[in-house]
Amino acid sequence: MNPVTEYAALMTRRHFFGRTATGIGVAALASLLNGEKAIASPHFAPRAKRVIYLFMSGGPSHIDLFDFKPKLAELNGTELPDSVRMGQRITGMTAYQGKFPCAASIFKFRQHGQSGTWVSELLPNIARVIDHCAVVKSMHTEAINHDPATTYIQTGSQQPGRPSLGAWLSYGIGSESKNLPAFIVMISQGSGNKTDQPIFSRLWGAGFLPSQHQGVRFRSGADPVLYLSNPPGIDTADRRAMLDAAGQLNQLAAQSFGDPEINTRIAQYEMAFRMQASVPELTDLSREDRRTIEMYGIKDDGVDGGFARNCLLARRMIERGVRFVQLMHRGWDQHSDLPKQIRGQCSDVDRPTAALIADLKQRGLLDETLVIWGGEFGRTVYSQGALTKDNYGRDHHGRCFSMLLAGGGIKPGITYGETDDYCYNIVRDPVHIHDYNATILHLLGIDHTRLTYRFMGRDFRLTDVHGEVVHGLLA
Amino acid sequence: MPRVVTMLARLVSAPATVLGTLALTLTTASPAVGAEPTVDFNRDVRPILSDNCFRCHGPDEKERKAELRLDVRESAVGQEVIVPGKSGESELLRRITAREASQRMPPPSTGKQLSEAQIETLRRWIDEGASYAKHWAFVPPKRPAGGSIDEFIRRKLEAVGLTMSPEASRERLIRRVTLDLTGLPPTLAEIDAFVHDPSPDAYEKVVDRLLNSPRYGERMALDWLDAARFADTHGYHIDSGRDMTRWRDWVIDAFNRNLPFDQFTIEQLAGDLLPNATVEQKIASGFNRNHMINFEGGAIPEEYHTAYIVDRVNTTATVWLGLSLACAQCHDHKYDPFTQKDYYRLYAFFHNVPENGLDGSRGNAAPLLRFPTPEQQRELDRLAEEIARWQKLEKWPFLAKWAKSQQAPLQQQRDKLERQVPTTMVMQEMPRPRDTFILIRGAYDKKGEKVTAGLPEALVEHPISTDRPLNRLDLARWIVSEENPLTARVIVNRYWQMFFGTGLVKTSEDFGTQGEYPSHPELLDWLAVEFRESGWDVKRLVKMIVMSAAYRQDSRVRPEHLQKDPENRLLARASRLRLQAEFIRDQALAVSGLLNGEIGGRSVFPYQPPGLWEELMSRADGANWTAQTYTPSHGKDLYRRTMYTFWKRTCPPPTLATFDAPDREVCTVRRPRTNTPLQALILMNDPTYVEASRKLAERLLREADSTDERIRLAFRLCTGRLPNEQEFSILQRLFEDRRTKYRQDREAALKLLSVGESPRDEALPFEELAAWSSLASVILNLDETITRN
Repeated sequence: MNPVTEYAALMTRRHFFGRTATGIGVAALASLLNGEKAIASPHFAPRAKRVIYLFMSGGPSHIDLFDFKPKLAELNGTELPDSVRMGQRITGMTAYQGKFPCAASIFKFRQHGQSGTWVSELLPNIARVIDHCAVVKSMHTEAINHDPATTYIQTGSQQPGRPSLGAWLSYGIGSESKNLPAFIVMISQGSGNKTDQPIFSRLWGAGFLPSQHQGVRFRSGADPVLYLSNPPGIDTADRRAMLDAAGQLNQLAAQSFGDPEINTRIAQYEMAFRMQASVPELTDLSREDRRTIEMYGIKDDGVDGGFARNCLLARRMIERGVRFVQLMHRGWDQHSDLPKQIRGQCSDVDRPTAALIADLKQRGLLDETLVIWGGEFGRTVYSQGALTKDNYGRDHHGRCFSMLLAGGGIKPGITYGETDDYCYNIVRDPVHIHDYNATILHLLGIDHTRLTYRFMGRDFRLTDVHGEVVHGLLA
Repeated sequence: MPRVVTMLARLVSAPATVLGTLALTLTTASPAVGAEPTVDFNRDVRPILSDNCFRCHGPDEKERKAELRLDVRESAVGQEVIVPGKSGESELLRRITAREASQRMPPPSTGKQLSEAQIETLRRWIDEGASYAKHWAFVPPKRPAGGSIDEFIRRKLEAVGLTMSPEASRERLIRRVTLDLTGLPPTLAEIDAFVHDPSPDAYEKVVDRLLNSPRYGERMALDWLDAARFADTHGYHIDSGRDMTRWRDWVIDAFNRNLPFDQFTIEQLAGDLLPNATVEQKIASGFNRNHMINFEGGAIPEEYHTAYIVDRVNTTATVWLGLSLACAQCHDHKYDPFTQKDYYRLYAFFHNVPENGLDGSRGNAAPLLRFPTPEQQRELDRLAEEIARWQKLEKWPFLAKWAKSQQAPLQQQRDKLERQVPTTMVMQEMPRPRDTFILIRGAYDKKGEKVTAGLPEALVEHPISTDRPLNRLDLARWIVSEENPLTARVIVNRYWQMFFGTGLVKTSEDFGTQGEYPSHPELLDWLAVEFRESGWDVKRLVKMIVMSAAYRQDSRVRPEHLQKDPENRLLARASRLRLQAEFIRDQALAVSGLLNGEIGGRSVFPYQPPGLWEELMSRADGANWTAQTYTPSHGKDLYRRTMYTFWKRTCPPPTLATFDAPDREVCTVRRPRTNTPLQALILMNDPTYVEASRKLAERLLREADSTDERIRLAFRLCTGRLPNEQEFSILQRLFEDRRTKYRQDREAALKLLSVGESPRDEALPFEELAAWSSLASVILNLDETITRN
């Protein structure tokens, strides 16, 4: 942001807050939670206004879900040829393994919908909405371990310190909501790998951006937002009375000091008060009809770690103007016993994911909402550990992986990119994670080379100095 | 207020060009009014060229287009891109004003475009002879004419027709300086003593008292912890615990004993290499072990070993040199005269630590210093003796097997105990340094030319002459030498930032060509020289700053301030600054009487909503990892100063993060200061503050006798002053309203009073207590309370 616009934005905000708390304009309210927008209007007409990002943490196996390779059946048990591996570095977990036997998926694949997209039997519900989706089979990343890979896809850098995608959007285009944050994160653990990899707050952090752009973690239970509820013994009327007194005192201070920051503080307290009502309203699913609850498969028996509930909450959030909702769902790091683990994991996510897409569609929201489903990398074609008739494991694989995209300007019903017979290397239309992030920003009306923030003398971007918009994915 | 609003409204509705000029004037901080009309290269021209041109026509050889350098006069003039004195004949001007996109510079594809004002500046500069100057920050500071901070501040204010504000009231002043120097509010007795002290040096006495308080060391250490990326966990992936609290204690102590800053620097960068290094000096060297450490299964050791050294170089460069050297990790710097080779020559200084690429799953990573307790040492000695005895028996073949089997459990016992021995991570030098190579595009596995340790050429006039290879101690000594143009400036600027909210160079992390030109260049140099020549005396510097009239001004904003200097860079008033995260909690603990003032030691676990760590970790503490489950402290440890809160990097303390504390993953020298509703929710509802309100209420009931007195006491404890009539009556009404409520709803009163672990004073009437508790909460939430005014 250049100093002139920064200054003008500051003055605009202050102008709004120069009035009394009750006289604040809507635009100013919207910016309260999220600070200033870096770009007042999009660089070009956005196709998507909001994003729901179902992040599948741990690295789902593209080989068992989307990237169908009939030839692998023949290659099952044969050693991965050096001509395919091409000296690719592999993690310390399998680097010292004597053999690298190819493991074909034991799951059946079938073509679905009018598009004829191949989907594994593990995802029967997603298969039903596959015509709304684009399957990208040619995603790739340089990272081969969880920490750097998740940090990379979320922030554009393998090392910590950079803002996450949601933080960039909060900074770039702010929120449409008057009383909810621009960027909300929800975390769940599925029934796949129960001791899955940890995740970190930097994945939704603000990096060097002002801290109000960090994702706000919503949790299940009485306090969806930390410290939302009044303490016991203080009800809404009490809180109102206390805030009125505080507001009057702050008004006096504003008059005495002449500091516009005090007016901002008054408005923030009012916003906090409104959040105390708007957040419980948002997270209360009792008004949703039974059909919807069933469609999402919400059971709250703890098996899916709350993923289904979070999917429905995500819809409710974007209906209320939240810009970016990110679900972090763990359990995909399936080094061993993959068939068993992935069955559990898929039964957790398949139905809610499909329900979310169908629900958005039926409500006319899918056109303007980009839905993303995928993880930080794929998994190896060779088995980690012993390969048997019905069991195998898979290590991390960054050279190719699959991602599902729907709505928000994505061309529906297509398969993009192609990998070799081993699901190992990309043979057509590679999409680097910088390209992928550039494309997400593009769909939101942002030129990824122009959404920048000056830090340490340099104009930083989500895509560093890389990234090409993948036009083949655009509707 | 209404006048201010009009003023703001007028500013907002002003035409864009006016706004632009105003903003430009402020960002370049040129005096504009009444100053010499000549263009100053460093102040006016370099920022334009650097930001718009240097990427392709600057120091980075690989990116350079048309073999043109605009950062070097010979190149620009030699190619007649600039014809000194003749802007009309200069290609530069033709290009920056070209209408045709194919001709225009910077190319439209860069998204950059020069403003009319910038073009005009370049035109004037060329017409005036296009003189160049070395980047100001790379020229060693010389003492400018002038005798005090206030002289420099006044000079600049006069130029724009502003004057300093009068001194703040004594109540406000003592609260300001006490918070600034100790991070805690003054006690009422301290306020009274100062307000009633008629002596001319009353304020100075307060300052001296605060500088000698042990709280001063804690306060000064706090910002240093951000810079040093101090934390209690390793930060990557599983994020096990570590213990660098001995290093933290060293920092607090160093500030308290006023260790000269040059020594402070040398011991932290190379304490281990000092001749006859003491244990304390070795502990200090842990500064550069505070970076993140990884042990993710399957990660490649060399990749992370490289990341650690990169972090050391980048942190050292930011903290002491104010340079964004990180840019040169992958390629020559695009704006500043540093090559990639310079980068890896610095890297070589930090490359010789006997450490592992993957380490730390169970705590601190080698190299370490051990600090067994006397009991542990006795037990370790005993085990060692016993093991040795069995070992002796091993030489008899018929006893060997048996002797070995007897040792095994003893060894296990020893290993277990060894893991419990407190340690601290330190720097250490390998007898033979590792080879260092330029890493092509910064990739750990792409080695280029071999390099040896050396200083950045652009900053060194007289290279250190020695036959032996340079080591960290040489680097540390050069950093605090007169030869180095940066460190003294960078450090005084950060202390300025600490006490005025914004540095004289606003970009306190970047003194390179992309950094901001100082608002008061002469003052910055004067302070830097004063600091260095005083023997790097930090307390003297701090005292000089807080004794200045500029610091002691009133903070009220007048319309002309907003009109002429809305960011308050020229300091016609004191800035109001929201307290930093830690101070807000410390203040609440202090005024409520909960604060446990113990200094130093292990980190503690105050209230935190359950499950926050566990949701991210899904592991348990055990033999393999630590810091996976949050086990809250109890009793006194709940009320330690906030700087001792356990800092888990992958899930930092949420209330601190919301108040802009950094995540401590990387070095931070400037915190943002945001104002959000999530902050309001914390102060209203976090049990920490609910409990503090209750304890403050108990204090009111015990220490004052009437409602009126209690209201005054509460307000004064939190804001440092008495409420005026209007404020008093608002609080009085609030109290009566609250009392009515809790008399009617006694159950609610008891519930409210149940929050927090500290026992309720049952001798006090609980309905009253609940009402006072509500009032206390309101006061703890006031803008004035959480602001240093």
